Amino acid sequence: MMNPRNNIEKGNPLDAPHAPPSAATLDKTLKAMAGVVGAAATFASEEDRDDYSDRFPIDPHRHRPFAAVAPTSAEQVQALVKIAAAQRVPIWTVSRGKNLGYGTAAPVVAGSIVLDLSRMQKITVDVENATVLLEPGVGFYDLYDYLQTRNIPLWLSVPGNSWGSVIGNALDRGLGYTPYGEHTRNICGMEVVLPDGDMVRTGMGAMPNAPSWQLHKYGYGPAWDQLFVQSNFGIVTKAGMWLMPQPQIVRGFDVEMDRMEDLGPLIDVIGPLRREGVLQQSPTIGNWFRAANILTTRKQWTDKPGSLSDEVIAAIRKQFGLGWWGVSLRIYGRETVVQANMDILGKALNAIKPLSMKPFSWRPGEPFSPTQGGWMGVPMTFPLQSANWFGGRGGHIGFSPVLTQSGRLAMEQFNRTYARYKEFGMDYQASFAFGERHMLNVNAILLNLDDPDFMKRVDPFLRTLIADARQHGYGEYRAHIDYMDTVADCYDYNNHALRRLNERVKNALDPAGILAPGKSGIWPAAYRKEGKA
Amino acid sequence: MKRVVLVGVTSLVTLGAQAADLDGKQLFHQKCEMCHGAAGMGTGLLARRMKPEVALLEKRDDLSAAYVERAARIGILNMPPITRGDVSDAQLASIAQYLSRGKP
Repeated sequence: MMNPRNNIEKGNPLDAPHAPPSAATLDKTLKAMAGVVGAAATFASEEDRDDYSDRFPIDPHRHRPFAAVAPTSAEQVQALVKIAAAQRVPIWTVSRGKNLGYGTAAPVVAGSIVLDLSRMQKITVDVENATVLLEPGVGFYDLYDYLQTRNIPLWLSVPGNSWGSVIGNALDRGLGYTPYGEHTRNICGMEVVLPDGDMVRTGMGAMPNAPSWQLHKYGYGPAWDQLFVQSNFGIVTKAGMWLMPQPQIVRGFDVEMDRMEDLGPLIDVIGPLRREGVLQQSPTIGNWFRAANILTTRKQWTDKPGSLSDEVIAAIRKQFGLGWWGVSLRIYGRETVVQANMDILGKALNAIKPLSMKPFSWRPGEPFSPTQGGWMGVPMTFPLQSANWFGGRGGHIGFSPVLTQSGRLAMEQFNRTYARYKEFGMDYQASFAFGERHMLNVNAILLNLDDPDFMKRVDPFLRTLIADARQHGYGEYRAHIDYMDTVADCYDYNNHALRRLNERVKNALDPAGILAPGKSGIWPAAYRKEGKA
Repeated sequence: MKRVVLVGVTSLVTLGAQAADLDGKQLFHQKCEMCHGAAGMGTGLLARRMKPEVALLEKRDDLSAAYVERAARIGILNMPPITRGDVSDAQLASIAQYLSRGKP
C-alpha cells in the first residue's frame, strides 16, 4: 500500500509505479557487490530473503528484499554504494537489522539490496572522557559486555528490547530509561558514507587530528549529525556516543496509581520535576497491560474476542498487584544530592496518593533483579515476551505521537485512544515517556499473526489513530516502514515545505536515488512526480 | 578476540570484535544468550512450554545440531530467524555443536 511500486495511496503525490531494476541488473549488481564483500557475505537464497524480511509484518510480502550483503569496513561500504549508484539499484542499510516493530531488516521498497552492517563491530572507549566510538554492528549486549569485562565504570542506556545496535537505535531516535535515555542526544560526531561514495566526518571529526571528535557536538559551521538521523542522506559507518559515568547510588520509587484518571495528576507531578532537573532520567508511565502482557497470556484469562473487559482487567491487575498506571522514577548521583532530591520527589508523589510507592536503592556492586536492570543501563530482552500474548506467533507495532507534558491534554489523548482500541477490538498497551520538555505517547498494538481477521483490522486501526492525533497537532516520532509516508504527510506546514526541503537535499546528495528510497517518507525524484524534471 | 590498548592522554580501548576465533560456547554467549540466558525472552517463553529447569538451551540434552541450525534460520514461534549476516553458517555450526553436545 505504501510502496509506490505496488500501489498509490489516495492523495499521495507519488508517481506511477517506479520501474524496478531488471533481473539482469540485479544479478549483475549483486555479483559486483560479492566481488567487494566476498561470496560468504552475500546472501540471496529464498531463505535469506525471508530472513531479511519484516518479522512483525501486516503483509509479509510487501517488503521482501532481493538480497543482503554484509560489509566489514567503511571502505567496503563506499565500494558497494558506488556499485548501487552505477546500476541504480536501491539499497537499504541496517545496523544489525533488529528493529522489531519498525520493519526489522526489511526495506520500504521490495527488491532492494540490504546492506547489513552487523559485521562492523569496532568499539573504541575513551574512559577518561566517558565516550565511545562505535561501528553500527555493535549491539547493546556487545558494548555492555565490553565495559563489564574490563571493569570500565561507564554506563550505556538501553531500550526495552536491547538486542539491536547501539548506533542503529540512536539513529532511529530510540529510548531508554536512564538520564541518557534520549539516545539520539548522546550522538557526538559521525563518519558517514554519502550516496556517491564520498566519506565525511562530522563535527570536530572534520579536523583530522582533533582530539575532541567525541566531545564537541557541533564543530564549526552547520552541524550535520541530525541530518543523518531517520534519513536516507548517508550511511553512518561510525558514531561517537556519550556514556554515563557510573553514579555513586541509584535511588527512587516504583509507583502504582489505582485509577485510569490518575494519569493526569501523575504527569503533572513528574513534568515540573523533570523540567527543573530534580528528575534527570526519562520516566515512562505504563499502563497495567504493558507490565502484565510480559507475565501472562490472554487465554489464561478469557476466550472472548474484542478488547479485554473491565472484569478481566481487574482480575489481572489483582493477580500481579498492578495499578492502572505505574512508573519507576530514579535519581542518580552522589549520595547527599540524591537524598535531597528523594525528599522532594517523595513529598510530591505522596500528595497524589499512590496505590503503592516502593522505595528503591542500589549501589554499584550490589545484586539486582533483571527486571530492574533497565534503569541501570543493563540490556534486556524479556519485555518482548509480550509477543506471546495471544499464545502463538505475535509481535507489535507502535503508534507514538509527540505530546506536551500536560496532564489534561494527555488524559484527553488517552481517552480518545482507549476508545479507539475498544472500537477496533484491541487490547490497550500504552506508555507516556517523558523527554526533557515533550512527552511521547508510545502505544503498542500487540499482533496475532496467526489470526488473519485480526491482522486485517490492524491497518485501518493504525490509520485511524494517526488521523485522530493529527487533528490535535500530534505527529509520530518514529514509524514502521508501512507508515513512513502517512506519518511524514502529517508534517505538512506550508504545503509540505519540510518534505520538499528533505527531497531537495535528497536529490542533491543522491541523484541516482539509490539510498533507502522512502525512508521517513523521503523519496528520490525518480519515484515522485513533482521531483521529476 | 583481538584487543589493542592504547595509553595516551586519555585511555583508549579498541576492540576488533570479529568473532571468527570464538568457540561454540563463546559464540552462544555473544549471539544467543541475550534471549536464551537466565532472564531472556527465549528462556521465559520456553518455560511456558516445557519444564522450566530445561528452558535454558544450555541445560537441554535433546537438541541435535541439525535442529538448532534449522530453528535459528527459520525461527520458531516468537523467535525471529537469525540472518547469515549476524551469525555466519560456520558460526552457527559451531553453536549447534556446542548445544547438541556433538549430536549430529
